[in-house]
Amino acid sequence: MTWYERVLTGSGLLVVGAPALVAAVMGLVLLLGYRLTERRITRLLEGATITGLAAAILILIGMLATGSRRVAITLGNWVVVPGEYHFAIKFVFDRLSVPFVILSFVLIGTIGAFASRYLHREEEFARFFMLYAIFLLGMVVASLAGTIETLFTGWELVGLSSALLVAYYQERPAPSRSGLWVWSVYRVSDAALLFAAVVLHHLMGEGDLSRLLGSGTWPYQHAEVASGQALLVGLLLIVAAAGKSALVPFSGWLPRAMEGPTPSSAIFYGALSVHLGAFLLLRLDPLIDRSIWLAGLLVVIGLATAVLAYLSSLVQTDIKSALCYASLTQVGIIVVEIGLGLRYVALVHMIGHATLRTLQFLRAPSILHEYHLVENALGEHRPVGKAPSWARLAGASVLGWLYRLALERSYLDGFLREVVVEPFRRGMLFCDRFERRWTDRLSGGESRESDHLRDPFGVIDELS
Amino acid sequence: MDPSQTSRAEDRIESSDDAELAELAHRIDHAAHLLPAQGPIAVFVHHNTLHAYEELTFHEAVERGARRFGCQPYLSEDRFREELRTGRIRFSELQSVLREDLGEQADRPVPCFGTRFGLRLVMLQYAHRSGPTDVLQWHMAESDSLRRVRPEASAAMRAQLVAETRRWVMRDLRLWGNGSDWTGASNGLLEGLGARRGGVRIEEWGPEDWEAFSLQALWRVCCDGVGRSGKLLPVSPPRTRHRDLLLEATGEDADRLVNEVLIPFCAAFLDQGLAHWRLPRREAGFFRSFCALYRRAFGPPRAWARGLARELGELEDGRVTALRSIERSLEELGVASEEQGEYIASALLALRGWCGMIWQLEVRGDRAVNPAPPGSLRGFLAVRLILDRYAARHVARAGGIPDSVSLRELRAELVGRRDRPGLGVESRALAIFELAQVAGISADRLYPLSDSAWGELLGEVEGFGELERRRVFQLAYERRLYTQVLDALELHNRGVRRRVSRPRFQAIFCIDEREESIRRHLEEVAPDAETFGTAGYFSVAMYYKGVDDAHFVPLCPVVVVPRHWVTEEVIEGSGDGESRRKRARRAVGMARHGFHSGSRSLMAGAILSAGVGALASVPLIARTLFPRATARFRDRMARFVRPPQRTRLQIERTASEPGSGPGGRGFDIGEMTELGAKVLREIGLTDGFARLVLVIGHGSRSANNPHKSAYECGACGGSSGGPNARALAQILNEERVRERLAARGIRIPATTWFVGGMHNTTDDSMRFYDVDLIPEGLRREFAAVREIMERASEANAHERCRRFESAPLTLTPEGARQHVEARAEDLAQVRPEWGHATNAIAIVGRRGLTRGLYLDRRAFLVSYEPSEDDEELGTLAAILGAVVPVCAGINLEYYFSRVDNVGWGSGTKLPHNVTSLIGVMDGSASDLRTGLPWQMVEFHEPVRLLLVVEADAGRLARLLDRGGDVGRLCRNGWVQLAAIDPRTREIRVYEEGEFRPDRAMASVLPTASSSRDWYRGWRENLEFAEIGRRGSAAESGEGALT
Repeated sequence: MTWYERVLTGSGLLVVGAPALVAAVMGLVLLLGYRLTERRITRLLEGATITGLAAAILILIGMLATGSRRVAITLGNWVVVPGEYHFAIKFVFDRLSVPFVILSFVLIGTIGAFASRYLHREEEFARFFMLYAIFLLGMVVASLAGTIETLFTGWELVGLSSALLVAYYQERPAPSRSGLWVWSVYRVSDAALLFAAVVLHHLMGEGDLSRLLGSGTWPYQHAEVASGQALLVGLLLIVAAAGKSALVPFSGWLPRAMEGPTPSSAIFYGALSVHLGAFLLLRLDPLIDRSIWLAGLLVVIGLATAVLAYLSSLVQTDIKSALCYASLTQVGIIVVEIGLGLRYVALVHMIGHATLRTLQFLRAPSILHEYHLVENALGEHRPVGKAPSWARLAGASVLGWLYRLALERSYLDGFLREVVVEPFRRGMLFCDRFERRWTDRLSGGESRESDHLRDPFGVIDELS
Repeated sequence: MDPSQTSRAEDRIESSDDAELAELAHRIDHAAHLLPAQGPIAVFVHHNTLHAYEELTFHEAVERGARRFGCQPYLSEDRFREELRTGRIRFSELQSVLREDLGEQADRPVPCFGTRFGLRLVMLQYAHRSGPTDVLQWHMAESDSLRRVRPEASAAMRAQLVAETRRWVMRDLRLWGNGSDWTGASNGLLEGLGARRGGVRIEEWGPEDWEAFSLQALWRVCCDGVGRSGKLLPVSPPRTRHRDLLLEATGEDADRLVNEVLIPFCAAFLDQGLAHWRLPRREAGFFRSFCALYRRAFGPPRAWARGLARELGELEDGRVTALRSIERSLEELGVASEEQGEYIASALLALRGWCGMIWQLEVRGDRAVNPAPPGSLRGFLAVRLILDRYAARHVARAGGIPDSVSLRELRAELVGRRDRPGLGVESRALAIFELAQVAGISADRLYPLSDSAWGELLGEVEGFGELERRRVFQLAYERRLYTQVLDALELHNRGVRRRVSRPRFQAIFCIDEREESIRRHLEEVAPDAETFGTAGYFSVAMYYKGVDDAHFVPLCPVVVVPRHWVTEEVIEGSGDGESRRKRARRAVGMARHGFHSGSRSLMAGAILSAGVGALASVPLIARTLFPRATARFRDRMARFVRPPQRTRLQIERTASEPGSGPGGRGFDIGEMTELGAKVLREIGLTDGFARLVLVIGHGSRSANNPHKSAYECGACGGSSGGPNARALAQILNEERVRERLAARGIRIPATTWFVGGMHNTTDDSMRFYDVDLIPEGLRREFAAVREIMERASEANAHERCRRFESAPLTLTPEGARQHVEARAEDLAQVRPEWGHATNAIAIVGRRGLTRGLYLDRRAFLVSYEPSEDDEELGTLAAILGAVVPVCAGINLEYYFSRVDNVGWGSGTKLPHNVTSLIGVMDGSASDLRTGLPWQMVEFHEPVRLLLVVEADAGRLARLLDRGGDVGRLCRNGWVQLAAIDPRTREIRVYEEGEFRPDRAMASVLPTASSSRDWYRGWRENLEFAEIGRRGSAAESGEGALT
C-alpha cells in the first residue's frame, strides 16, 4: 500500500468514523442519564461534521490528483459461509458517492448550526440532536455503501431517525400520528430493499454491489446479470426508492413530515431524505440499463410524480406544503432523468436542487416579508392566482375537478388508506375473529383474558 | 348581481318570513363573539384574549373562559408553590390576601383544623393528591405513603402526629397478658393494624413502627369518616356535541375526519395570495364554493363521507341557503331549540382559529386584500354541521352502534352508556389524610367527629377547590409586585421633584415599556436631558405610504380610523432618474417574484435548480453561519447599487378635503396645530423648550419571523412608528403652526428645532429623519446629541442582553450592540427580542415621579402634566382613553398566552408554518394558531397591569364613573388602579369602586450608582432601585433634578 493509499483509506475511515463516534458518544452519555449542555452537543456535532467533511474533501482531492476513480474500504467479512453466504462491510468512494457525501456533510452541518440556535432553550434539545446525529450517520453510511447490507444499515438509520424527528413533539397526537404514517411507508420501502438483498444474495452469493453492477467505475459500469433477474431486483429497488423519495403512490407522507421543527422539515423534503431514493436508483443505474422495462417504469413513475406534485403545489396555501410539493416535482424529474440514463444531469440536478430548496425551507417563515418586498418593488398587489393556462382550456367543470384533485393531494393518501390499508386491516380483523371463535369454542367460554384488562398506566398521569 | 349578495338577499327574505331562522341567525352571530378576534398576522394587534367577557369581573371571566375554551385560567398550582418557595410570593402576603378574600368568613370554625382561614392556608401551602379511586388505591399500595409521613410536613408536626396517636392507642388499647385486644380499640377500627408489626410486642415498637402505625390509623379513620358522611357525585363536564360523546365512548375523534377536509378548504378560502391557483368560485361564498367543489363525481376515496357529493348537489340545485342547511342539520342531529346556542358555539369553537379568521375577514374586510364575502361564517357552520353528521355516523358505526340508532337518538344513547365511577371514598379521604399530616392532626382527633362534622370538614376542604386556590395564589403573586411598585414610588418621591430646569435637549418617546430603559440610560448619560412619553403614533393618525412602499398602511391605534393620508416623496434628482429607478426596481421585483414562483414550477424549476441551484449554497452557508457579517455586506451592496435618496413627507394638504389622491394628502395648518397642541399639552411640554427636541418612534426588525408585527409599536397598530415621529417633528417645525400654537399659549422659541427619529428595539439602532433641514447653528449640537443617543442605545442593548441566555453576562456595551445586531439578522433566531414580555405597570404622570428609578423595563411611562389639566380632568380622560386599552390589551394578551400557551397562545414557534398569508399552523394541517408563541412569553410574569395615575383620587373616581372602557376595565379588575396625589404624593389604591389609602411596607429603597451597577450579573426580574445616589453629580450639576 503506498502512502497516499494509506492517507485515502485513513480519510475514508474518518468520514464514516467521525459521525459514528459522535452518535455513539452522545447515545451512551444520554443513555447513562447524564445531561449534555446545548453547547457541548453543538460542539460534538460540529466536530463530527467538520472532520467528516474535511476527510471527504481530502479524498476528493486525492482522487482527482491520482486520477483514481474508485477507493474501496473493506472492514472485513463478518460472516462467511463459503459458496453460500458472505456478509461484508464495505465503503466505496467514487464519482457518485463522494459528491453526495460532501453534500450531506455541508447541508447537515449548515442545518445543524441553524438548528442549534433555533432550538435554543428547547427542553428536548438533546433528543433532537441525538436523532440528528443518527440521521447524519445513516446518510453517510447509505451514500458510501459498497454492499447491500451496508446500504440497508444506513437506510434503516435514516428511516428510523426521520420518523422519530417527525414525531418530535410526542406530546401532541398529530405529530405522533404523522410519524407513524411516515414510519409505515418507510417500512414498506425497507421491506422491499431487504427482499432485494435476499434475492441478490441468492443470485450472487454475496451482497457486494460491485459484483451486481459489474466491473468498472460509476457511471461506466456494466451489470452482468440477466435481464430477467435485473427486472426482479430492479422492481424491488424501485419500490424501495419510491417509498423513500415519496414517489407515486407514496407521496402522501411528505406533507405530514413537517410536524417537526423547521430545520427537520428542511432536512426531509428540502435536502436529503427525499433524494435518498433517487440516489439509490443512481447507484443501481447499471442494473436499470439492463432492462428497458425498468427504465420505462422509472420514467412513468417519475413523470406521474412530477405532474401530480406540480398540480398540488399550485393550490397549496401554506408555505411549507407549497415548497414540499415543489420539491417533489423536482424529485420526479430527477427520477425521469435517471430513467432516461442521464446520470450526470441527475446528479447535478440533485445537488443543485437540494441546496436551493434547503435555503428556501430555512427561510420559509420569511414568506410574508418576502411578498411584502416584492409588492413594494412592483408597486402594486401581486397578480391574483389563476388556474394554469393549459388547464383553463378544459372548461370550468374539469377545472373544478382538477382543483379538488390537487387540493386533496391527488387522493394518494385516501387511495392507500381505502384500497390497501383498510382491506388489510379488515383481513386481519377477520382472522382475529376467526381465531377467537375457535379458541372460545375449544375453551368452552371466553378465552381471552386480555379483553378484560384495563390499561394500567393510562391514568397514572392524572395523579401526579 | 354578485352571487354572494344573492345568497345574502335570500337569507334576508327567509328571515323576514321565518322568525325561527332569524333567531338562528342571531344565535350564530352571538356565538361568533366568542371567537378569537385576531386579524391577519402581518398586522398584529394585541388585544384582550377574553375580550368577549369584559363585562364580567376578571376572575369570573377567566374561570368562565377557561371552562368554555378548555384552557387554564391561572398558572398551575405547582408553579405558584414554587414561587412561594423561592420567595416571589411572600407568605405574609399570601396570608393577608387570603384573609381579605375571606372577609368575615375567615374565622369560621372548621372541625380539627381550627378556622377556615387556617385550613385554607394549609391547603395553599401543601399540595394534596386527588384522582380516580383505583389510581389512589394503587398509589397507597405501591408508595410508602402509609409508612412515612409526607416529607413536606415539618418535624414538629410529625412528632405531634406520632406522639398523640401513640398516647391514644396505649390508653385505649387493652393490654392483657401476652396479646393485645385490638377489637376493642376504637370500636374495632384499628383491627389488624397491630398484626402488621410482625409480632413484635407493642412496647418494643421503634419510632418507624409508630410512624407507620399512626399513618395507617389515620388513613382508616379518614376512610371511615368519609364513608359515614354521605356521597358526593362528581360533576362531569357537559358534553354537547356528538363528537365529544363519541370520543368518550369509542376513543375515535370524529373531528379528525372532518378537519382533514375542512382545514385545507378553509385555508384555500381565506388565502390572501400564497397559492398560485386560487379557489374557484370563491366569490360565491364559503357554502356555495364548497358545494360546487365537493359535489363533483370521482372525488377522493373517503368511506366516511359516502353520499356527501349527492347531498351537496341537492343542496346546490335546490338553492338551499347556508342558514336553511344549518337548520336542517341541527334538526337531524336532534338539537333542540333551547340548546342551539350552546351547540352552535361549541361547533364553531371546535376549529376556533380558522373560524375566528373567517369571521374577522367578514366583519373587518378592510384589513385584508381578499376579504371574506358576507355570510361566510354561516357557510362555514353549515359545512361543518354537514360534515359532522357524516363523521359522527361513521364513528358510531365503527364503534359498534347499530345504524338503527339515528343521530337524533345517538346522544341519549351514548349518555346512557357512560359509566363514570363516582368519586370514591378513598379519593375523598386522601385529601383529609394528606392535609392532616401537614397540620399535625392525628387519628384520635379525627376519630370522635360526628357524621355531620365529617360532612362539614369535607365540605370545607372540597369547597376550596383547585381553581379557588390558584385564584388566591394569583392575588398574592400580584400583590408582591404591586407592593414593590407602590413602595418604590412612595420612597422615591419623598423628596420634592420638578422638571429639569434649562434642559440641554428633550426627547419624546413612545410609552412602550421597552423605551423605559433607553430613557433611563439617556438621562444617565446626559443628566441635563429631559424625556417624555406619549403614545407612539404621536397623535398623527394617518395612512402612510413610504417612497418604496406599494400600499398605504394605517399608522395609529387600531380603534382609531385615520382620516388623513401621508406619503413620502423624493425631492432630489430629475423625474427621469426617478422613473428609471422605479423601473429598475420593478424589474428586480419581477425577477425576484419570477425566481420564487419559477423555482416552484415544473420545467423552470428544473432548469433553475439544476443550473444555478448549487449557487444557493453561498447564501445558505453565509446567512446561517455568519448572519451579522452577511447582513452588513448586503447592506453595503444595496447602498452601492442604490444610493440613499433625500425624501420629505408630503404633510401639507392643498385640497380642502383629505383624500388618498395627490392633492388630498396631508393635513391643513389648522389640523396640524390641533394635533401639535394636543401632544404638547398631554405631555406637559408647553414651556421650557430646549434647543433640540427629538421625537422618537420605534419599530422592530427581525428576520424569518412571521410574528414580526407583534414586536412593533402597538400604538401604531403593529407597524413602525418612525414616520409618525417624523411627521410630528415636521409639523412642529412649521412656522405657521408655531404662530397658531403661540396664540393658544404654547410658545415654541424660534431657536428650537424638532428632529424625528426611529429607535429599532431589536438591534438598538437609532436613525434620524430630515437631518439636512436642521439649521446651521444647531448642527454641531445635534451631532453631539446624536453621539449621546448612540451611547444610550449601546447601554440599552447592554441592559437587554442580560435577559438573553446566549449573550454572556460579561459582554461589553459594544459587544452587546453587536450581539443584538446579529439577533436581528439571524434566520435561526426565534427570539430576536423579548417584546413586551416584561410589561407589568403603567405610570401616567410627570417624569419626575419615575426619573432616576430603575423600573426594569416593566413600566409603560405616559407623560401627563396634572397642573395643566382642568377640573374635570379632560386631558387625562383623553390620555387614558387612548392608552389604557392599548396597554391592557398587550398586558392581557401576554397574560393569557403565558398562562396557557398551548390553549390561548400559539404554542412553540418551531413547527409553525405560515398559511394563507394570514396566520400560522403547526405542521401541515392544524387549527390556525392565534395568540403569542411561547418564545415571546416564556419568561413573562402573568400579572394584571398596575395603572398608577398622578391625579387627585376624587376627581379620578368621578372620571371613571363617567363610563367608557377605562372605567369598566378598572372596575372589573382587568386593570389594577392606584392614584398618586400630584401635591401630597399620597398613594391610594382603587378597590371595589373606591380609592383606599395604601400602606407602605418597605422603608428603604435600594440604591445603585448606575443602572448597569444594579442589573449586572443577573438575568431574572429585578427589584426597583434608586439610580444615582443622592448628593452625587446629578444634584450638583447644572440643570439637574433637585
